[in-house]
Amino acid sequence: MPLRANLSLLDNIALIPQYRHNLDYETTSAQAWNLLLLTGQESAALKRDPQLSHAERCVAKLLRAAIERPPIILIDRPALLLPDTHYPPFLSDLLERLADHLNDCWILDYRWNEPLYPPHLLSPAPR
Amino acid sequence: MPAIINFLTRRGAALLATWRIWRATFGLAGKVVVAALSPAVYNSATRTVVMKQIYFTAVQILVPFTLFAALLSFVLIQIVVGTAAEYGLSDYALEMSVRLLVLEVLPLVTALFVALRSGSAINTEVALMRINNELEALEDSGVDTLRLEFMPRVIGGMLSVLSLTAITSVLALVLAYLAVYGAQPWSLPDFARVMGKVFDGAILTGILLKSLAFGLAVTVIPVAEGLATPKMLFMAPISVLRGMVRLFFVLMFIEVASLAFKYI
Amino acid sequence: MERAPVPPAPPVPRAPLIKNLEFKIGLLLTLTVLLGAAFIAYTLYARGAFQVSHKLILTAEDVEGVSVGMPISFSGFPIGKVSRLHLMEDGKVRIELAIPKEDARWLRKSSVFTLEKALVGGAKIKAHTTNLQDPPLEDGEARPLITGDATKDIPVLIAKVKSILENVDAMTTAGAPINQTLGHVETVTGRMAGDYGLLQGVMGSPEKAQKVVQALDKANTLLTSLNGVSLKVDGVLAKTDSRLFGQDGVMDQAQGAIRNVNALLGDVRESLKKADTILANAQTASADVTKITGNVAEATTDMARLRLEIDDSMRKVNHLINEINKKWPFAREVEIKTP
Repeated sequence: MPLRANLSLLDNIALIPQYRHNLDYETTSAQAWNLLLLTGQESAALKRDPQLSHAERCVAKLLRAAIERPPIILIDRPALLLPDTHYPPFLSDLLERLADHLNDCWILDYRWNEPLYPPHLLSPAPR
Repeated sequence: MPAIINFLTRRGAALLATWRIWRATFGLAGKVVVAALSPAVYNSATRTVVMKQIYFTAVQILVPFTLFAALLSFVLIQIVVGTAAEYGLSDYALEMSVRLLVLEVLPLVTALFVALRSGSAINTEVALMRINNELEALEDSGVDTLRLEFMPRVIGGMLSVLSLTAITSVLALVLAYLAVYGAQPWSLPDFARVMGKVFDGAILTGILLKSLAFGLAVTVIPVAEGLATPKMLFMAPISVLRGMVRLFFVLMFIEVASLAFKYI
Repeated sequence: MERAPVPPAPPVPRAPLIKNLEFKIGLLLTLTVLLGAAFIAYTLYARGAFQVSHKLILTAEDVEGVSVGMPISFSGFPIGKVSRLHLMEDGKVRIELAIPKEDARWLRKSSVFTLEKALVGGAKIKAHTTNLQDPPLEDGEARPLITGDATKDIPVLIAKVKSILENVDAMTTAGAPINQTLGHVETVTGRMAGDYGLLQGVMGSPEKAQKVVQALDKANTLLTSLNGVSLKVDGVLAKTDSRLFGQDGVMDQAQGAIRNVNALLGDVRESLKKADTILANAQTASADVTKITGNVAEATTDMARLRLEIDDSMRKVNHLINEINKKWPFAREVEIKTP
């Protein structure tokens, strides 16, 4: 789902806990910054949606979902998010880096793409 | 015959659409007011949005707008005072200029200015947010868009209109004093007498309510219109256009209604 | 997998969008609240909420044009205002005035309060205090409010003035009775100035006067011829003498007539003088009228005087016309419209 266009990447991530738990901006932006450092994409922190590369945007979306530590995160067809990247290694690297901050992460994709992902990332019912 | 049916169908559809958008506007206004009055919805995120809205709506334009309002007030006061003196009604010049400026012209000009500047911006932003599915994204992340995006904008807009109106009105009062009595402090009791005559409880409440209504209209209508935009990029300008036209008529309607209420 | 190494305290980047956002917003909102509160406090002050004021109650029949907040003025200065208006049981109106304590000293027991309505602008309540040494008005004391409505009298006044001006006009147009009168007077005096003087004036034309003179001449001739007659007829002459010059003689009667004419002319002269003064009065009256129309707001005091003057002039004019009618039997068609 798209990011808010008129907020920076960092703010887009920080907004969620700020809103949901009424934390102040300092706390949540620090939280978001730490996550961003883990992914190695901190150079994009102050960019806005239209300025982001596909990889950066994908990271932002993942972090926005991850910051609330939901029990499960579904990534629907990563190829759509990362059209210009050799995405299976990128994705597994990203998920490794964030392993401590993720509960469960499943990738939803077409059945013929199944061999691209490590088995534990596959959803129980791939298409 | 089919042409007539076709025509009627289209008219009816247009009427229904108008009806829907008005109903959406009032529904939104109601929801926003209810949300604004319940303290539970204020949190650090919404406060930030309120502050940003006030910053963009009021603080950024404060100095140029105040200067413009001072110029407008000055010219109007001179006209009123000059005309009153010509007809031998100088006693009423101060009261007339205060009534004209503080009660009518300045709130309306402020509302129009904010409508042009922030109303159109809000309308565009909301329309684009809707077209880009940003709103759904936020909702999916557990964020209530009404509370995070719309209510703060409305509150910010209302506070901004109030602030600008208050500042320009006080400035106009000072200018009126200078224009009528000149730069000397001995006419303050006389000024106080006229002020006491013009501003009773009902009038003060009236100005406050009118400014709040202006602030509400200036923000709620663009938001409602933006939300009603079909999800096609080329509809964004049309949405802004419609929103601005409706906003103009609503502002004028509020003004006329307040005049009618006061003087009829 | 191990946690990625945390870089040595990289500061959280802050969006450099707005500097001192909170401060500016706080400043603006505080300013607004302060302005609003100060303004409300100021209007409360202006409406006299913090003033220790005396209450003064005025009762009036009709308070059209009076409104709450209306000032009461003393010598043209506002010294208080109407705080409350309401109808009493007897149908009169009770006006409560709030007079600030420091201004209450202008109002004394002997003060008179008037409600004046001008043509343009609202009504005015005025206080008049003639003697500032009188004891001061107590708090909450009641006084009647005297209403004087300049606008009410104006139509009547205008009507009167108009009829007077019409009369003056009628008197001064060519062919007006008074002109005819003056013409006649002129003719009479002209004749008097003629060859035969008074006689001509009385007889109407030189011929007739001449006849009288001729008659007198004949009498003279007769007298001389009679003188020429013998002394025998002395007795007859003596008789003739007594006929001519004695009590109730012809000449005696003529003299009486002339005396009458003199008295009448005196009257005429007097009347003309009166007419002069009246014309002058009318002139002042019309001057007053222009003053009124030019300066209606202050006219209320002039109105009464002017009306008296005009009434007076009216009476004089009527009187004069009547007198002239009595004295001069012509021009019966003279009409004076009494307003």
